[in-house]
Amino acid sequence: MAEKKEGKNGKAVKLVIDGKEVEAAEGTSVLVAARGVGINIPTLCYNGRMEPYGACRMCMVEIETSWGRKRLVASCVYPVEEGLKVQTDTEKVRKIRKMIIELLWPSWQAYADEYGVTSSRFKTGMTDCSLCGLCVRYCAEVKKENRLYFKGRGIERQPALVEGSELSCRACGECFNLCGSGWVATRC
Amino acid sequence: MSRIATPGDLVKLRDRLNAKRNAKATWLAVCAGTGCRACGAMALADKFEEEIEKRGIGDKVGVRRTGCHGLCERGPMVMVQPAGESYFGIHPENVPAVLDQVETGKGDVEQFRYLDEEGGKRVSKLSDVPFYKHQNRVLLENNLWGDASSIEDYIALGGYSALAKALTEMTPDAVLNEVKEAKLRGRGGGGFLAGRKWESVRKAEGEPKYVIVNADEGDPGAFMDGSLLEGTPHSVLEGLILGAYAIGAAEGFIYVRQEYPLARKHAQLAIDQAREYGLLGEDILGSNFSFDVKIHRGAGAFVSGESSALMSAIEGHVGEPRPKYVHTSEKGVWGKPSCLNNVETWANVPHIINKGAAWFKGMGTAESTGTKIFSLVGKVKNTGLVEVPMGITLRDIIFKIGGGVPAGKQFKAVQTGGPSGGVVPEALLDLPVDFDELTKVGSMMGSGGMIVMDTNTCMVDTARYYIRFLAHESCGKCVPCREGTRQMLNILDRIASGEGREDDLGLLEELAEFMQAASLCALGQSAPNPVASTLKYFRDEYEEHIREKRCRAGVCTALIAYEIDQSKCKSCGACQRACPAGAIDKGGKDGKVFTVVQEKCIKCGACFSACPDKFNAVTKVPALSIKR
Amino acid sequence: MDVNETAPPSDARAVVLVIDADKSFVKTCRQALEGEGYKIIVSPSGKQGLEAAKAEAPGVVLLDWKAADPSDIAGFDLLDELVDVNSDIVPVVATADATVDAAVEAMKMGVFDFLSKPVSPEKLLETVRQAVGISEMQREAETKEEKADKYDLLLEGLDVLGEAYSIGLEKRQFLDDLARLENVAKSNAASRGEAKTREEAIAEIHDDLLDADAIMWNYDFQKNALIQILLDVQEKFRWLPRHILNWISGRLNIPLKDILVIANFYEAFSTEPRGRHTIQVCTGTACHVRGATETLTRVSAALGIQPGETDAKQRFTLETVHCLGCCALAPVVQIGSQYYRDPSQSQLAKLINSLEGAGGAEEATTGKEA
Repeated sequence: MAEKKEGKNGKAVKLVIDGKEVEAAEGTSVLVAARGVGINIPTLCYNGRMEPYGACRMCMVEIETSWGRKRLVASCVYPVEEGLKVQTDTEKVRKIRKMIIELLWPSWQAYADEYGVTSSRFKTGMTDCSLCGLCVRYCAEVKKENRLYFKGRGIERQPALVEGSELSCRACGECFNLCGSGWVATRC
Repeated sequence: MSRIATPGDLVKLRDRLNAKRNAKATWLAVCAGTGCRACGAMALADKFEEEIEKRGIGDKVGVRRTGCHGLCERGPMVMVQPAGESYFGIHPENVPAVLDQVETGKGDVEQFRYLDEEGGKRVSKLSDVPFYKHQNRVLLENNLWGDASSIEDYIALGGYSALAKALTEMTPDAVLNEVKEAKLRGRGGGGFLAGRKWESVRKAEGEPKYVIVNADEGDPGAFMDGSLLEGTPHSVLEGLILGAYAIGAAEGFIYVRQEYPLARKHAQLAIDQAREYGLLGEDILGSNFSFDVKIHRGAGAFVSGESSALMSAIEGHVGEPRPKYVHTSEKGVWGKPSCLNNVETWANVPHIINKGAAWFKGMGTAESTGTKIFSLVGKVKNTGLVEVPMGITLRDIIFKIGGGVPAGKQFKAVQTGGPSGGVVPEALLDLPVDFDELTKVGSMMGSGGMIVMDTNTCMVDTARYYIRFLAHESCGKCVPCREGTRQMLNILDRIASGEGREDDLGLLEELAEFMQAASLCALGQSAPNPVASTLKYFRDEYEEHIREKRCRAGVCTALIAYEIDQSKCKSCGACQRACPAGAIDKGGKDGKVFTVVQEKCIKCGACFSACPDKFNAVTKVPALSIKR
Repeated sequence: MDVNETAPPSDARAVVLVIDADKSFVKTCRQALEGEGYKIIVSPSGKQGLEAAKAEAPGVVLLDWKAADPSDIAGFDLLDELVDVNSDIVPVVATADATVDAAVEAMKMGVFDFLSKPVSPEKLLETVRQAVGISEMQREAETKEEKADKYDLLLEGLDVLGEAYSIGLEKRQFLDDLARLENVAKSNAASRGEAKTREEAIAEIHDDLLDADAIMWNYDFQKNALIQILLDVQEKFRWLPRHILNWISGRLNIPLKDILVIANFYEAFSTEPRGRHTIQVCTGTACHVRGATETLTRVSAALGIQPGETDAKQRFTLETVHCLGCCALAPVVQIGSQYYRDPSQSQLAKLINSLEGAGGAEEATTGKEA
């Protein structure tokens, strides 16, 4: 049976982002809708060429639904809805983003200046990878080579190369530039 | 066995089965739950059968291998049915005595009866044992009276009558309404209203719809769902079929945790038997309603119990939670509406359909209806499985049913809700057990693990235990949960090893708040609870570790040392023989008594347990005192 | 220039190298052999002869025992060098200085015949023909051996497998796969301290793949049954051998990385061989508060391995598990299908010894129970 196709062709939805009235197609994420009107929400794991992943949590925003429910959501995976009120730069979300930068310190510092982070209060250097998954997802979703994967779970989770892929990976190298910490390039 | 074509057939079959059951005057119900099996229950049941045959009393006495009876602490146990007398700590060599008692009433069985410490009297009937007296066993009752692997026993005990009733007398809407009316809340953790969930699945667009049993009971120290599924698999299955009927699902899954081989075996057996009887499959009981179930084995990951992760696993993908703000009730397995409830939730359904919502609401509190099963474990006298009406106080569960903490020690706290829950201190013990009340004090109902802790349990160590568990059991996908647990573990390791800093507690609190707000799934959002609740109620213990480098419970190994009291040591050598590290030698007074060579000691505590109680020469002392 | 690397010409068997400065002997050679289809290469000195032997890969070499130029290499030394260049070369000596001692010595060194000059063209032809025959046989035998080394057994495997499956892989690719599999089987065997012949290794792989197929068959080769399939593989092999994972990846058309993610995510799976006996120490909360940490330290010390490790002889694997569901026994240790409440040091030693001692027999009985 035909599944209802959601996404770009859906009907338009009206919402308010940082006080600005925005219209976006049903199924669009809040992040994309915001960027469409020039509101930049910081991201780490987001890349328009791949499915949103929702892992880094940098893009968290405060929302209030039309029925008055307030909460924090990851804007890259939260779809727009009629009457939604979004605030992208509140004290709460700034605190979260600051903490993320601190926790990933020093492997990812893209927004460090903007959020005033110059060091971390935590034990650092436990991993040189932020596990944003850009390389893994690019290889699987865009390149369809499936040479990278996440090995293990929890704090042991690490990206890994399928054995024997080093040469082809070096030859391709397309994901190297996606990586903020240079992890893949050094492993090939 | 033949197909049961109509509800009438089911009644006839039940009568036949009951006649067969009643043909024997006595049944010996041997508890064959995982706990008693571990103590040799299966050999015991075999021995009973052998001895019965030897005595030629097979026409009068039969043996049942039933589900968990509950009082695991005293296993293996046997209940004489229908009289209800129970014997505890029975081993194969005690079989003749029990059979003598059954045959003549003159067996030498007094020593196997439950000893009521308060009254100092032996209790013969199970229902008079304090552990059972204060319970309200609805779901667990079948565990006692039927063979866990027999659909015939289940049917004889009234099984599948709710299904027959629903299929003949009730519309799917009526079934749904009954469950809604009963205010049944999901027993897996959050306590979401089952009826509301069912309704949203039913209303969601998309076919087919799926119903799923979550038997991925991952909370360490909780075995309610495992015991229920292994002890009375058909009641879970019947509940699932009823749910499928109400929701309009044609297919179901039972997701069983890998560590529960017996539950898996019995669930599969139940499915096969139900299929043969026509209670699963096409045209169930001639009603035109068709439904079938498959078992999906888990492969060992706590995070798999999270609904979207569990559904991912059913699809054959790695069990990682999905970051979607669309409920699985709308888009679950293969993007289809899916209804996931845990074992205990489903097992409640046949009872609600049979006896009605009003009866169900008669138990428990206004917002938390029915009963709840807890696994009462840890530093408590009567370890076991208990079923109580919601609203009972923690104190009643722990002291009246559980018998309190073992002699010589004092109660300190009880942990509920597993790794997502928290500790509840003595001061709050009169709290009624209720979804909302427990959440208010920073813990949660969870699936029903209840771990009792005494003064020998360290709260920093407890928090560290759960955080270490979560740091490894998190899927590791989102930053707050992965890096949050990593850093919490770091800090707790530091504190436990005496290197904590003054600002550590503040950092922990900040991390807790952050993880709660920013994590992707419920696992991460609730992960800080063990830290937050121990900090809230036992902050002084943390401070002691940090400032005085002292662990008052004597648990944090870096802060303690083992020492042999020179004046008490009688040179028996038990400690030296027990030490796996060769860290004990006769270096003491004139080379006659033993001492611990601190450099070699691995702090395994073998000497401490080996030293005879009458000497008590091995002691735990603060590590600092040794360094001096 | 490294001529050794180039393949010998296809008519190499017919190449005869004559190392001799004696012009009349060379003439006799040409007369006797060239008409018979042999290619004659003449080197007037030992040094040149060696170069020619390298470049032309002759099957037979005719040489004099003594050199015309005393500074040249000849006799035993030359033979040595020639054999170094090509161990399969068949040497024939023709000399005017044929003593019995020299002849005996030469034969000992593997010279095919020792002729006394002057040699009649008939005798020369007869001898060369025989020598070439020997050379040819040697070369054939060697080629065969070489083939068996790399391809014959693999082809054998391919035949068996090719009949059973139509897997749609290019033959060449499949050969590579099989070659890899063979190495896998051998190293698997080596890690168990066994030596396997190629045939055994291939047979083992073949059986493994059939087992994997039988498992997948139970799930109708459904992709979504991947975790269930891997659980069965784990149970069957006690770990997830890489060649099985590759095989499943091909059969179910699932990228290998998706399988590796699962294999490394769940507790139940092991990507390294596990021991014959698994010792599980429960570290569930109930066990933890009743001292499981100390129990674990003791069990670990008794076995001499850390949690998660397998001993060198693959007898034991020590694992921790979060709740076995029998909290009343806390702290509990599970060995095989038996549970033990906080076993003491001596009890542990006894249990471990009994497992070790009974070895295979023990395994058979626990297998039956299960």
